This record gives sequence, structure tokens and C-alpha cells, in this order.
Amino acid sequence: MDYIVDGFVKAIFLLIHLDPATFSAISATLKVSTAAMAVSLIAGLPLGFALGYFNFYGKRHIKTLVDTLLALPTVSVGLIVYALISSQGPLGELNLLFTLTGIAMGQTILALPIVIAITAATVENIDPDLKLTLVSLGAGKRHILFTCLWEVRYGILAGVVTAYGRVLTEVGIAMMVGGNIKYHTRTITTAIALETSKGMFADGMALGLVLIAIALCVNICLSFLRKQ
Amino acid sequence: MTRQPPAYRLEQVAHFYGDKQVLGIDLLEIPKGSITGLMGPNGSGKSTLLKLLAFAMRPASGCIKFNGRPEYPFSHKVRAKVTLVTQKPYLLKRTVFENITYGLKIRQDKNDLTRRVHVAMDSVGLAFDRFAFRQWHELSGGEAQRVALAARLILRPEVLLLDEPVASVDTRSAALIRTAALAARQDWGTTLIIASHDLAWLFDCSDTQISISSGTLFATGREIIIPGPYVRKKDGAQTWIKQLDDGQTIVLPPMAGGAKTAVLRSENIRLATTGQTDAGADNRIFGQVQSMHLTGQHRQIMTVIALGGMTVMLALSPDQTAALALQPGKPVTLLFSSKQIAVR
Repeated sequence: MDYIVDGFVKAIFLLIHLDPATFSAISATLKVSTAAMAVSLIAGLPLGFALGYFNFYGKRHIKTLVDTLLALPTVSVGLIVYALISSQGPLGELNLLFTLTGIAMGQTILALPIVIAITAATVENIDPDLKLTLVSLGAGKRHILFTCLWEVRYGILAGVVTAYGRVLTEVGIAMMVGGNIKYHTRTITTAIALETSKGMFADGMALGLVLIAIALCVNICLSFLRKQ
Repeated sequence: MTRQPPAYRLEQVAHFYGDKQVLGIDLLEIPKGSITGLMGPNGSGKSTLLKLLAFAMRPASGCIKFNGRPEYPFSHKVRAKVTLVTQKPYLLKRTVFENITYGLKIRQDKNDLTRRVHVAMDSVGLAFDRFAFRQWHELSGGEAQRVALAARLILRPEVLLLDEPVASVDTRSAALIRTAALAARQDWGTTLIIASHDLAWLFDCSDTQISISSGTLFATGREIIIPGPYVRKKDGAQTWIKQLDDGQTIVLPPMAGGAKTAVLRSENIRLATTGQTDAGADNRIFGQVQSMHLTGQHRQIMTVIALGGMTVMLALSPDQTAALALQPGKPVTLLFSSKQIAVR
């Protein structure tokens, strides 16, 4: 039990004293997760809206595919992205292997289906009178898109939190695509895995605390927005 | 001199939900600046017709002309001009002020919003200071309905469609909604199309009344719809009947190809208050006057007669009602021949 308490105390010490290795991992994590979420939201919100709002041939099959991608193992994504961006892969010339961009790419693949699926499910449950109301007030297609998304913003926020949680806590992609390079592509999760395997329990715990704190901050922010 | 086109002209319009036809209109014209009352039982096609008129959806077939030109959903010609208030309005998850200004904002019209919201709210009896900054969930059903109407009135629409606007609101809200809607025609010449079960109001305010049953239009007071189901008598004579709730039966003409809609024109009905008979009439149905409404425009008395679970509306002249001394509650007899019932 003592080593857990010692680890906790050391974790606080590392954080207070701005340990460079710890903060490098925090910075890398925030950069890749933010980039992945930004791309996922920009692409996923309109795609999810289209999937939930419109009826078209093949919709059911696309939904099944998106739902399947929700359960995609992170190591599988890591493997696919690795194959794509390694020197022998089709995107090898871009030199993305062992870079933060490469990790962000993989995490986007992870987050995108979540954003699409939750947006589609939320939009599908929109009150049918909403569209009628918007049309009757003179809204065009663009206004209908944005107003519908705004009306179901709380449901979509839940999707964003879920996706962010998945991106923030994944290890497989960061490890395989990023290579866990200290001061470069080492993220919080890969650092925790490494430090714990080395017996550096306190370092791992410090990073774990940061991870929990980030998740807490995100939820507090969303809760505040919800009240607004 | 060119004739002004009607606000709407519907030609051969049909609409389906799945395989089921819910609307079939050969021709319907609604003049500009008129008030049209739309009546019919639940599920008759009123709301579908209003949605088509609001250009919220396309008909499965046929053409809807607006101001003489074929139009379609999201056309710029109709988006700013036609608006619909539904029975249970959807308020956006915002304040009352933001709900009322939504339509103006998407038109990029941001001039003098506060004053215009003030006027719109006044017109539906909502005090600006008390309600403008309330959230959507802080309103009663009647207040929400009035906010929805104010959000349309602020747009000064060319056409205002009202789908059961007073069906689920309190008496005060209903009165305010009626006054505000009628003021729109008076002040801006707005064309009003109102679907309502409030017959007294409809007959009082509307220029024309249209009955709708199973998606087909009928001239109110002149055509009486005998609603199904119809039963084929097993007497070898291929006779069809309509069984009324009180045990009376209406004899119908033969229906080749199965049950359709049976329609009787009012001039083919003889109304009697005593036990009179008519040799030519094989139908002698007893009923009771349920209500009488003076129509605003034609000075006729729309007389609603209850016949064993079915209601019949007859447009009578004041002289006719006086001669028969009709009044609500009075027993009457309807005499008509099955040969004069049309099957459509």
C-alpha cells in the first residue's frame, strides 16, 4: 500500500516542479488529441447529420459499417496507419511515421466513427416538428443543418466527450505509429505504460493523475456550456 | 385586363405515405387575401394538405402553383412568404425573443428587432417585459402557441397556414390567437388557411369552407360525405349499406369494384321535422340538430345534424331554418334516395 501512497506523493512533486519529461508527454497528448478531435468534428458532424437526417439507398449498410468501426481496436488502427505511412506504404513519402501528425491521423480514424454514429443517432431522434418549423420560418438547407445541430447540441456533446475520452486514453496508435519517442511522440498513455513497466510507478501515477484531470476539465467545461 | 392569379392553384395533386394515398386533389384554387376554413375528421388529410401548401414537402405527383407559378420546397419565392403554425408548435431551445426573431435573422433582417418583437408579442397578448427573455421551457402550452404565432406574424407573411391553432390551448389564448390571425389579413392582406374543429369560428371568419375526407375535398354544406366502412348486405341484391351507431342504416348505391367514398349533395336531401315520408326516398334517417352557425360571408346557417355517430352539415337559408323552426336539440328527419348518392 505504501508504494501507492509514495507514488501519489511523487506524482504531485513532479507536477508541481514542472518535470520536463512529464510536461512533454502532456503537451504531445493535448496536441494530437485536439488535432484528431478537430478533424473528426469538422468531418463527422456533417456526415453524421447526413446519415441521420436523409433517407437514401444503402443507409442501413453505412450505419452498420459505422457501428462496426465504433468497436475498432486501437492496435488495429495503429497497424493500418503504420502500413499506410511507413516507408513502404502508399503515404510513405510524407514521412509521417513516428510523428505527432501520424498519431493524430490514427486517432482521427478512431474518433470519426464515434462522432458520426452519435450525431446520426441524435439527429434521427430529432422531433419531426423541428424541420417543419424551420421550413415554415423560411430556413434554407444550410440553416436547417446548423439549427438542427444546435437544437441537439447536448446529445452531440455527449458524443464529443465519448470520442475525446477514447482518443485521450488510447495506447495502441500512439505506441505503434508514434514510437513512444521521449520529448517527441511520447504521450501520457505511452509514458504510463513505459514508466510502469520500468518500475517507475510514481511517474506513471503522475501522468495518470494528469489524464484524469484533463478528463475532469473537459467534463466541467461541457457541463458549464450545457447550463448556458 | 389580366386576372390576378390565385394565391394557390393545385392541379392533380396526389400524395402517398408508403402505398397509401392520403391526398388526391383534382383542382383547388385559393384566392389571394381570402380566408379558407379547412374541416374534416382526424386523419382526413388536412395536415398533409397544409404541409404541401407550406412547401414543407413535395407532392408525390401534381403541381402546386403559388401566385401563378409552379413552386417547390426551398424555393426563394415561397420561403419568405408562406408560413405554417402547427397544432403543437416546436419552439427552439432558446429564449422567446430568439424564437420570435429566428425567421428575421435567417433573412439577414436585423433592423429594429426589439421594437418589432414588442409589436409581434403585443399582437398575441404577450407582455414583452414578462416573456421576452423566458426560456422555451418556461411557457405554458397556450403561451408557446402564441410565441409560435408571433414568430410567424413578425415575418408579415403573404400566406399564413394554421393547423388546429386553438385545439390544445386555454380559452384566453384561443381568443388571442384568433384575433391576431384575423388581424394579419386585415392589416397586410395575408391569405389565411385555417384547419380547425372550431366550426363556429371557421364559419364566422372564413370566406370559403372546404371539407376533406380520406384525402378528397368536398364543398362544405353542399356535399355530405357518408364515411365508411360500408357493408355489403348478404341479400343477393348486391346492396351496400352504412351502419350507423344507433342501429339505423343508410342504403347506398351499388359499388362496383369495392368500397369508395359515398357523397350526397345537400339539394338531394329533404329535411323534415315531423314524421313525413317521401315515396321516392328509400332512406329515412332520424337525427338531431347539434349546432347552428351563421356563416360570415354568405349569410347562410350551417346546420350540423347528428345521425347516430355521424354528423351532417347542411347550408340552409335563414328562411328554411325559420320555416322548420330549427334549433339545437330539435329532432329532424333526413329523406333522400340512395340513387342520388354518388360514389367516388
